[in-house]
Amino acid sequence: MYSWIWRHLPGNGWVRALISLVLIVAVVYVLFQYVFPWAEPLLPFNDVTVDNQ
Amino acid sequence: MRSSVKGRGNVAATADDTAQHSDPPASSPTRRRRRMGPVAMVVSFFGELLITAGLVLGLFVVYSLWWTNVVADRAADKQADKVRDAWAQESDEGGSSGGPASYDSKNGVGFLHVPAMTGDEILVEKGTSMKVLNDGVAGYYTDPVKATLPTSGEKGNFSLAAHRDGHGAKFHGIHKIEKGDPIVFETKDTWYVYKTYAILPETSKYNVDVLGKIPKESGRKKAGHYITLTTCTPVYTSKYRYIVWGELARTEKVDQDRTPPAELR
Repeated sequence: MYSWIWRHLPGNGWVRALISLVLIVAVVYVLFQYVFPWAEPLLPFNDVTVDNQ
Repeated sequence: MRSSVKGRGNVAATADDTAQHSDPPASSPTRRRRRMGPVAMVVSFFGELLITAGLVLGLFVVYSLWWTNVVADRAADKQADKVRDAWAQESDEGGSSGGPASYDSKNGVGFLHVPAMTGDEILVEKGTSMKVLNDGVAGYYTDPVKATLPTSGEKGNFSLAAHRDGHGAKFHGIHKIEKGDPIVFETKDTWYVYKTYAILPETSKYNVDVLGKIPKESGRKKAGHYITLTTCTPVYTSKYRYIVWGELARTEKVDQDRTPPAELR
């Protein structure tokens, strides 16, 4: 999967490394901004109140 | 197939040239590695998926324990500044009327100071929904048992909740509170000084009785001015709830310089 992506990136090694870095940053951004905030309430790690439900 | 035939042909044609001789065998293994068999391809893809899943889970831990704190502290600071500004404005105008700059409880009702737990002040807002608490504040209960605000002057229980980890982790150090430690709630013009008198280190998350007007589990039988802090325990999980009860010891008027009461100095 990753070698496939690497082979399909344009440019020489340095350009590919740079593009990879940008892609990684983009993925982390999407995870932190959208995916994790969505997933967090579904996981039982952060309920702090007492409740009768 | 074709490449190996060609390679053999090369070797035969230029048997004296060592460079040419070593070339085809060197390039053909890399070719063979790229053109993996279907089984190897599936296994390698699956392996990479597992590595990716591991990295994502690791990132989730970073997100939960670090990034949410950054975001929450930023939000809490902003809202705390707003409350402080509103108070300052009100007392500037309020000398004569005190009316017009009406106090908006949406922004927070006051600050909690628990020196045994944290040196920081904790903004208190209405409600205990995730939306409120995720801003790095403590929330007073509106559901399932409504909290009695100390400002109302009535006897009852001022019940609060805040995060133990992540999202500001305002009650992270709740286990450091001991009996007798002060819990001070600061409003615009009064310091409410509570004294911790009971701690329940582990209880069911369904135990709503701890929020009662008279929290019987704490040992009190008569109505009084109580404060209840609730959060999750053990650390990093939400299996049980940790409860700290305090009782109002005294109140103190806020002076011109907002000099904190003796317990906070």
